[in-house]
Amino acid sequence: MNHHVSRCLLFATLLLAGLPAVFAAEAKLMIAMMPKSKGNAYFISCKHGADRAAKELGFELLFDGPTDSNAAKQNEIVENWITLGVDVITVAAENKQGISTALRKAQKQGIKVITFDADALPDARSFFVNQATPQGIASGLMDEAARLCGAEGEFAIISATLTAGNQREWLKYIDERLAEKYPKMKLVAVRPCDDLKDKAQSEATALMSANPRLKLLMAICSPGVPGAAEAVKQAGKTGQVKVIGLGLPSENRRYVHEGVTDSVMLWKTEDLGYLTIYAAAAVARDELKPGATSFKAGSLGTFEIKGDNILLGQPFIFNRSNIDQFDF
Amino acid sequence: MIAAKNQPSWLRSLLCYETLLLAVLVIEWLIFYHYGTSTNRRGHLVGFGTLDRQFDILRHSCEIGLLALALTPVILTAGIDLSVGSLLGLCAIVFGKLWHDGGLSIPVAAALTLVVGAMGGGLNAGLITALRLPPLIVTLGTYSLFRGLAEAITQGAVTYTDFPSGFLFLGQERWNGLPMQAWLFLLMTVLVWILVHRTTWGRSFRVIGFSPEGARYAGLPVERRVSIVYILAGIIAALAALIYTARLGQAKADAGTGYELFAITAVVLGGTSIFGGRGSVTGTLLGVAAIAVLKNGLACLPVVIRLNAAEEISGLLTGALLLVALTGNAIPTFLKYLRAHRPAR
Repeated sequence: MNHHVSRCLLFATLLLAGLPAVFAAEAKLMIAMMPKSKGNAYFISCKHGADRAAKELGFELLFDGPTDSNAAKQNEIVENWITLGVDVITVAAENKQGISTALRKAQKQGIKVITFDADALPDARSFFVNQATPQGIASGLMDEAARLCGAEGEFAIISATLTAGNQREWLKYIDERLAEKYPKMKLVAVRPCDDLKDKAQSEATALMSANPRLKLLMAICSPGVPGAAEAVKQAGKTGQVKVIGLGLPSENRRYVHEGVTDSVMLWKTEDLGYLTIYAAAAVARDELKPGATSFKAGSLGTFEIKGDNILLGQPFIFNRSNIDQFDF
Repeated sequence: MIAAKNQPSWLRSLLCYETLLLAVLVIEWLIFYHYGTSTNRRGHLVGFGTLDRQFDILRHSCEIGLLALALTPVILTAGIDLSVGSLLGLCAIVFGKLWHDGGLSIPVAAALTLVVGAMGGGLNAGLITALRLPPLIVTLGTYSLFRGLAEAITQGAVTYTDFPSGFLFLGQERWNGLPMQAWLFLLMTVLVWILVHRTTWGRSFRVIGFSPEGARYAGLPVERRVSIVYILAGIIAALAALIYTARLGQAKADAGTGYELFAITAVVLGGTSIFGGRGSVTGTLLGVAAIAVLKNGLACLPVVIRLNAAEEISGLLTGALLLVALTGNAIPTFLKYLRAHRPAR
């Protein structure tokens, strides 16, 4: 037997001998968090909040997800976490059905599951951290519009499509709020922009020329806000036609500073991450059980629970005074 | 590979490329077993060393494994098929559509999906053999065409879900101890192995790979044989589509994106020459396993877990592994070249 072979055998023996000496048991609870895609500024911001919460609670946080929004990879990562024996898995689901098979498998192994941002099927998780209810979004936007218009005058809405479920729901609640609280305001048109900034711009231009007395444009999809702002700016109607909507601070910062867009609404994504981790920890320790109606999350205070949805609460309004504090 | 003629035959076979690859695989596995297994807070064994993890590796590598099997005969004939991943996506959508919108039963929809796969492969075969177009260009075209069709059928938005549990069994449950799809993979491996290594057809693939003109002079029906490998690749891609759909419980137009590159990597890592003529199904199998174990094992290593970058590191190491293997394989040829060009004394 030559030296090489014996050395190889020695190495293999050492490896095998070391096998029982596995890692010392992890004392910390392990919470795994999966975004739809890990490069997305929205989810990176969630992670900042989640990191803060994990540090406060003394938990270990694993944050991993596909580099692109890919349902297959989400499943593989969940299955990996199952065999790693994490204590809680939190997921923003790319695909409801697809992820649910993997999540149910995790539950069968005694792992707690919570969803945030985008829900899975109800039986595949114990709680959903809901960033905003349709009512919350709709009344928030309508109230802000009324405030800017002095509760009277014409306004128009730019939506993503006329068929999308969430858009229809928001429109329904906007209509309700309008009828209930602001009788002097009039919704003159709802136009779809197909989630395209270019189309939002041309629709906004058309709306302004068709309705000369228009006081405000409200975009309820994120590309719609900068699109509408660009149209108002090019028409030289800055200040005369106000722009508000749902969107990311980063996409609208320029227009907010130029005074074209008055305010953008979205939830605080950092708080979403923070709340999710607090909820995950509470579920793991059996402190948060089905049927609870409220829940306290560290420095953020108490949150309402409706059914199995933990509500992040009212959306946050970004305007000139605070928009520079947020980088997502 | 490095064995000289006067060495005993057992040593020569020990030093062949497949054996070395097997050694790499075993070492890889032992390292992950050693460093990737631990007990968790609740005292359960977790990580790489669990049986569940091993089954997950099998489940996660079946689709890419099937595509690699499909590509082995293709590459043996000195061809290439870049379209298998896209065809997987198209077949998944066709299957979902036939079942969900067409109201067909699962077996009928699955059978028709295999036919669509064969047609996709047939399109490649037709363009390559009848028009004598280079396989790289033809399949680059169908790569976009099949994916584009899948996206057009669904407008890029529809996802087919809610498949019956009897179908999901194929991708999610175990049968006789092994994940169901592993049995199918095993069956296909045996079939392709017999085709490539135990039939005259398989021998003709290699001959065509070495020299298509020579094969033609020798009276081989080159066009027909080449057509067969592309059609077979299409059928296997369709089978992979069914398994993928069952594993995830959904059919979406992005199914199998990028899988063709993983499959080609596995085939080449398995020792099949990209210029055709040389290679084996065993090698491909080892190549698939080496990549799958690497990818899954890394995700169990504490260091990698802390970095939250399993996917990125596994991509990096797969690339490195391939380059090292290719370099290793090229050394004997290089030495031979040096010896031949040694200045005469």
